[in-house]
Amino acid sequence: MLTMTNVKKRFGEQEVVKGITLHVGKGEAFGLLGPNGAGKSTTISMICGLVPYDEGDIQVDGLSVSRSPYEIKKKIGVVPQDIALYPTLSALDNLVFWGKMYGLKGREAKARALEVLETVGLVERGKDRIETFSGGMKRRINIGAALLHRPELLIMDEPTVGIDPQSRHHILETVKRLNEQGMTIIYTSHYMEEVEFLCKRIAIMDHGQVIATGSTQELCKRLAGGNQLLLDVEEVRPAFVEKLKQLDGVEKVMIPEASEIHLYIKQDQDMMASIVSMAAKEAVKLRQIKLKEADLETLFLQMTGRSLRD
Amino acid sequence: MRKIVAICSLEMKRTFKRRSSYIIMFAMPLIFTLLFGGLFGENAGSAMPIAIVDEDGSVYSQHLIRQLKSHPFTEYEEVDAATAKELLSEKSVEGVVTIKKDFLGHIAKEEPAVMLQHPPGTAAAPMLEQLYNQAIRTLDLQVTAAQIGASYENKEWDMVFEQLIETESGTNGISEIHMNDAQVESWNKMSYSSAGFSIMFVMIVMLFTTGTLIEARNMGIWSRLLTTPATRIQLTLGYVLSFFIIGFVQFTLLIVLTSLLFGVQWGDPLGLAILVTVLLFSVVGLGMAIATLVKTSEQQSAVGMLLIISTSMLGGVYWPLDIVPEFMQKIANFVPQSWAIEGFKSLVDGAALGDIMTPILVLMGFAIVFLSIGISRVRYQ
Repeated sequence: MLTMTNVKKRFGEQEVVKGITLHVGKGEAFGLLGPNGAGKSTTISMICGLVPYDEGDIQVDGLSVSRSPYEIKKKIGVVPQDIALYPTLSALDNLVFWGKMYGLKGREAKARALEVLETVGLVERGKDRIETFSGGMKRRINIGAALLHRPELLIMDEPTVGIDPQSRHHILETVKRLNEQGMTIIYTSHYMEEVEFLCKRIAIMDHGQVIATGSTQELCKRLAGGNQLLLDVEEVRPAFVEKLKQLDGVEKVMIPEASEIHLYIKQDQDMMASIVSMAAKEAVKLRQIKLKEADLETLFLQMTGRSLRD
Repeated sequence: MRKIVAICSLEMKRTFKRRSSYIIMFAMPLIFTLLFGGLFGENAGSAMPIAIVDEDGSVYSQHLIRQLKSHPFTEYEEVDAATAKELLSEKSVEGVVTIKKDFLGHIAKEEPAVMLQHPPGTAAAPMLEQLYNQAIRTLDLQVTAAQIGASYENKEWDMVFEQLIETESGTNGISEIHMNDAQVESWNKMSYSSAGFSIMFVMIVMLFTTGTLIEARNMGIWSRLLTTPATRIQLTLGYVLSFFIIGFVQFTLLIVLTSLLFGVQWGDPLGLAILVTVLLFSVVGLGMAIATLVKTSEQQSAVGMLLIISTSMLGGVYWPLDIVPEFMQKIANFVPQSWAIEGFKSLVDGAALGDIMTPILVLMGFAIVFLSIGISRVRYQ
């Protein structure tokens, strides 16, 4: 559905996108992650045709963005980070307007707007002005405005910023359902759990480059010391810590508190039994031992050196 | 075309849905027209009382007095010097005009021929001064014309002058007999105020309406519009068309309402439609230029209102330009309102489309300049 080949973009002297190559298949839900300033927004703007790229090519469904921008825009729905709606107009009026901007005729636009209101679960609020809506409801209409022309590719730029958990859940369920119906989704978010919930594949961007692509599991497997063993002990004894460091598969040992030891271990190592017997030998009272598996947050931190919300 | 219509109808819906729009669009200009048109109208009896002392007592000074009396803002009472002094001390008059003895001689020597006395701080003093200078210049021209004519006809110049002013007053008399009521009432204070305040409030409404561009830019609507399959030209045309139609609806209704309520005769409908059209394009262009040059709605309101009020003052929206100093009249040539007023005045006085081509062309020039700035700024921001 989307192919980016060695795409570069420069603003003045600064190269903000440094040769991105990506492929997103039809019907796929694809997550694009990166800290602020990584080049995500510029990449999305280039896909939407808002910003022209300097080198390389972007193709949507076989059409080049630079050569057929208006054909491509008919296939794409964009959910911007801003709530780009007219606050003094009703939800229905807003949706009808955006439908017309995508080329729908009067009655068709209204019928489709009513369908979309149902999709986002706000039929009963259709005639109310947007300014009377909660943040979550505005976000749902904001998504709805991108669905009116039944796009093949839906690009969502942090669509759940600043909303309540209930609305977030509703939005995620809606997006998941749209994806299951065959719509290709490109999703950016600062919330790892959203990306993990929706996307089968992700790309991590940093400093204008894609530094990793793959499924969550694939990427987490690449992590060195991705999993953690969290030991709750009565007293941290230095001799016990030294022995833990010498265990095969332990990458790093940290003592964040007087009664806690964190072991960073290789992905497929099972060393709980060894630790338990070692604690018994060293007369260390082990109250609890817990395995924390590697997740996107850990992966992101290790790859970019920054937290996703930085 | 569908996308242009979609933007246009959306913006119109947003404007006409707001109750405050009706106050600014219609109630305010009508109230201002009523206040200013009535307050300073010649039928309201509020003309400025001035005492006039004729020391010269000649046919020339009497001719000057007739000229002064024809001005709608002033009301003259011919008195002797002592009475004039008394009236001024009683504040029964705003000023005393004294036509000096041998005042033609003074004019020839380029000395002051007319003296104006007024209490300190009289606001109308500059206007009166301007008025007298104009009247004296006209008289001087008539005298020169009479002198040249006399040299050709081998007659005394004062005889030729008398013939000249008799012909002038005779012509006026004939034209008044043939005038119908509407023509006599033509360009009065009410029609002046109607035209002036319609222009000013259309500009104010346009300032608020074009503010949608700032709103669209700041709320991300403009970016979102650019992700739809609409071209930038379609988007721009949609906005320009909506602004124009809103302005046209407002102006048309103001014309109808002022005709019905105040009896204003706006003149030739074709000329009026074209004049309003070019005026609106220049106002839309100005609004768009302001909206795209500033960053926030607050900046737009501040800059826009300052610009509208100051140019309205300069352009003769509040008072006729012939009462302001000459350099102000020259500055007024660079302000669209003055050309619009000139066009409306001509139409009200019975002119047709062909007679108002100069104001139309100048306003078209303003429209091209302002729209070029506005549209180019929208396209590339």
